[in-house]
Amino acid sequence: MAPSRALAGLLAAGRRAPQAAGAGAHSSRFVLPRTYHSYDHPPPPGVFNAAEKAILSAAYAHVPEHGFTQHALSLGARDAGYLDISTSLLPAGPFSLIKYHLVTKREALAPKSAGIFGGPAAAQAQAVPVEAKVERLTWERLQENRDVIHRWQEALAIMAQPSLVPASLHELALLADEIYHLSGDKSVDPSWYTKRASLSTIYASAELFMTNDRSPGFGETQAFLQRRLKESSGVGAVLGNVAQWVSFTAAAGVNVLRSKGARI
Amino acid sequence: MSSTRSLMRFMRRSGQLPVHDFLAPALFAPNRRCLSSTAQKGAAQAQDASANSNAQKPKRKPLTKEQREFLSSALRVNQAGELAATLIYTAQTPPMVNAHPHLRPLMRHMYEQEAGHLDTFNSLIAKHRVRPTALYPVWSVLATGLGWGTAVLGREAAMACTEAVETEIGTHYNEQIRALLEMFQQWEAEGYEVGDELRELVGTLRRIRDEELEHLDHAVEHDARKAEPHWLLTGVIRAGCRGAIWASERI
Repeated sequence: MAPSRALAGLLAAGRRAPQAAGAGAHSSRFVLPRTYHSYDHPPPPGVFNAAEKAILSAAYAHVPEHGFTQHALSLGARDAGYLDISTSLLPAGPFSLIKYHLVTKREALAPKSAGIFGGPAAAQAQAVPVEAKVERLTWERLQENRDVIHRWQEALAIMAQPSLVPASLHELALLADEIYHLSGDKSVDPSWYTKRASLSTIYASAELFMTNDRSPGFGETQAFLQRRLKESSGVGAVLGNVAQWVSFTAAAGVNVLRSKGARI
Repeated sequence: MSSTRSLMRFMRRSGQLPVHDFLAPALFAPNRRCLSSTAQKGAAQAQDASANSNAQKPKRKPLTKEQREFLSSALRVNQAGELAATLIYTAQTPPMVNAHPHLRPLMRHMYEQEAGHLDTFNSLIAKHRVRPTALYPVWSVLATGLGWGTAVLGREAAMACTEAVETEIGTHYNEQIRALLEMFQQWEAEGYEVGDELRELVGTLRRIRDEELEHLDHAVEHDARKAEPHWLLTGVIRAGCRGAIWASERI
């Protein structure tokens, strides 16, 4: 029953494919964080189409001055050679500007991580533990906020609007997943969830901390991030040890009973 | 080689595309026939053939959202299934071997194959960035309970459990393979090529399905049908498997 429905969906997808390419930009917002990532098929179309990208990238330059506002969007549209009214291309308004920031900075992580951990230091990078890579990449991503950090509280307020919360959380989940993927994490058990959930929480709180951080080079934010990551790995280690002890004791108990002749 | 390529380009520009499109399915038909053999060699030949046709059709189609979701749920449910199978055999082995020491090699053989399958899907899931099922702990507990429970009921009940599980899993893999082949067929009809990645996936699925069906044969050889009451045991376990597959595809 279920597989046949999946099959029907697949066939329908094939038929719809040509027109879906254009319309897919906004419908992909509420899908679950992760879907199959192919290495030898071209990637699916990006979140923004060409016109949206032109307006948003021009508008993004106005964010430090005018914030994540409709005004910045209109200025961007004008810079990109569109009419002011063309900002109606972006029905989500200022939120699309925020999303542009989130998406482009997330996508910039992959080349950056290749630069940090690849190249001649690749062999050395193999030895770097996953936790260290996670910390480095999270810090790199936080630093990307520095140009707009004085406007970021407004952005957080917009993202916290009830109708925008799912899309914002989706972006956060994608970021946590991207960081773990780039760090070479291979976990495929429930720790997949706990790792991403704790990194999402830590990242969000570090970002909030950063909006009030006046220290040079955001040194205090970095220290904050390191403390939080250390705490979470400490909790993870304790839970792991407890689980190991419980399973060992249970297995030993069963084996003792078996050695006494119990038929279990 | 380069002259044929420029010829193709010329043909495409000069508007003789329909002929080319019309020929495309015929070019690809032999590949499909090769693929329907289960042997690895057949798959390798098919890959060579598709590599040869690279020059004419360098285009691959991006996966649609539905196709990516199908592949994600397929890999996720397969990992969950192999996890459960590994745990069932782990839990069955001690009581079974205790009562019937001659079954030790068979149980070890089946366990080792399942552990191999689990490794395969674990690495595929990590590689393709698929989310593992959120019900992982639930399946672990249920599978261990099922394996241990049936093994305590006796050899026949344990074998009936294997029979029921492997029947469902075999059908399930067949449905996945069919869906993938239909996907390939559609791409080829549209003139796109299928990447090695997905061809290898189909090869892997075929190999694993055959091994699962081999376990089914072993179970039937070892008196699975003599379990009392056979219809109830297999009926309940098969319904449970279908429910688990349904849930793992989604959650």
